[in-house]
Amino acid sequence: MASSSSSGLTFKLHPLVIVNISDHYTRVKSQMNPSHAPHNNTVNNGGDSVVSSLPSSRVYGCVIGVQKGRTVEIFNSFELLYDPSTNSLDRPFLEKKQELYKKVFPHFYILGWYSTGSDAEEADMHIHKALMDINESPVYVLLNPAINHSQKDLPVSIFESELHVIDGIPQLIFVHSSYTIETVEAERISVDHVAHLKPSDGGSAATQLAANLTGIHSAIKMLHSRIKVLHHYLLAMEKEEVPRENSLLRQVSSLLRRLPAIESGKFQDDFLMEYNDTLLISYLAMLTNCSSAMNDLVDKFSTAYDRHTRRGGRTAFM
Amino acid sequence: MDIEQRQSELIDHFVKQATAASNAPALTSVIVDATSHPLLFAFSEILDLPNVVQLEATDSKVYLDMLRLFAHGIWSDYKSNAERLPQLVPDQILKLKQLTVLTLAETHKVLPYDQLMQELDVTNVRELEDFLINECMYAGIVRGKLDQLRRCLEVQFAAGRDLRPGQLGNMIQTLSNWLSTSENMLVSIQDKIKWADSMSEVDKKHRKDVEEKVDEVKKSLFKKLHTVSRATSTSEGMRRSALNLVE
Repeated sequence: MASSSSSGLTFKLHPLVIVNISDHYTRVKSQMNPSHAPHNNTVNNGGDSVVSSLPSSRVYGCVIGVQKGRTVEIFNSFELLYDPSTNSLDRPFLEKKQELYKKVFPHFYILGWYSTGSDAEEADMHIHKALMDINESPVYVLLNPAINHSQKDLPVSIFESELHVIDGIPQLIFVHSSYTIETVEAERISVDHVAHLKPSDGGSAATQLAANLTGIHSAIKMLHSRIKVLHHYLLAMEKEEVPRENSLLRQVSSLLRRLPAIESGKFQDDFLMEYNDTLLISYLAMLTNCSSAMNDLVDKFSTAYDRHTRRGGRTAFM
Repeated sequence: MDIEQRQSELIDHFVKQATAASNAPALTSVIVDATSHPLLFAFSEILDLPNVVQLEATDSKVYLDMLRLFAHGIWSDYKSNAERLPQLVPDQILKLKQLTVLTLAETHKVLPYDQLMQELDVTNVRELEDFLINECMYAGIVRGKLDQLRRCLEVQFAAGRDLRPGQLGNMIQTLSNWLSTSENMLVSIQDKIKWADSMSEVDKKHRKDVEEKVDEVKKSLFKKLHTVSRATSTSEGMRRSALNLVE
């Protein structure tokens, strides 16, 4: 039921909203079945999750933000209680929360609501219409909590409602909208922190080294794939399969000129010095370990063999 | 990149003007306008236009040569061919010098002041630095560090010039080198990760073996001590028997 939106609004989503929604979902899920204790289901962590036999429940909440002209920027979100009997959201609670948030963030308005699931459903339109008296065109943010390792993009989609004529009846249906992620500096730092989570027990040196190297590996891999695309494009241009585009060629030539990234005598000297320093420190650490092990051995040896000689000469073996 | 974005409008504008220009003098004036515009550094679109290529056959061939010079050549090219080419306005001279810096940045990352001064016909360092800062860096076509102690310019970024026909092959070669280097790097990183894991496995195994051996010896000692302890009641005898066992 979702096609492309034509309203011309640009959406900007902050990562805080995504983290809030996934946190809400995870908390509800772990509270529902505490014996299963599922692993953290955030979208950033691609770890495996325990397959729960219970169906995952949907969580609901409200998104707030600022709308300036054609740009809708979604900053924050909060949770709402869902009443399954009336199939609607708890209205007094919503209004109370809205008042509270207004006091702290006077510029933020309720822009829409969020939920979890794989796709927008018919029943969601009911909630959508209920919100339409607060905001004449609310947005619906949908998070798909299923972890799909092959999927490269965020499982977050934004829907708008549009009036389409279906079977002669004008109906509101959900249409997909595209969005961009916009970060404030504080958000960028926290997202970066989450991305670099080390194993909680600190691990051995090998696991930390592996974690560090894996980060570098994936970064180089992404760069590699993008350079490959450029390479293919230039090859096609050489064979005249695509028309020559001069401005692109100019940009590529300026890009290639940036290689090698650093090259000067001073850099080589500094680099080699730092490399030698690291090697020296690890050598020193090894030496210290060896000498301490040797010391222990000598102690044990003297305790085992020499003590009775010092006590007055009655040796049991000679 | 932003330079290309800024230029794209200008390029479209000049291309339209050039296609609209019907006769040679109008076309030459468009060329002169384009080459003196302070923000335009890309001329290959204009060079590709059919009316411009037709100038080859007419008297105004010199203007076509001048356009080619601005697309691919540098300041010293102009000086050596000055008789054949039309007189340049100061704007054009400035632009040609900027393009010269771009070309120099193509081949080397570190440009010594002496070479720059020679290529740009500038006599003292102060003028050179003023030129680099005002005309190149503020225009956004060059980004880099001026090192006065070592008298060189370290280029971090330089805008691209128009491509000569043979350069496309070089670029493809560079790209494929880059690709192969990054592939090698990926493979070696994976090897390192595997090595680190295997080394830690070996170390854990070794530690476990040593622990097991220690446990075994402790157990056997304890058993022997236990059997001996019935016979000897004095502590002295205990110690002697323990030492017997140790050897």
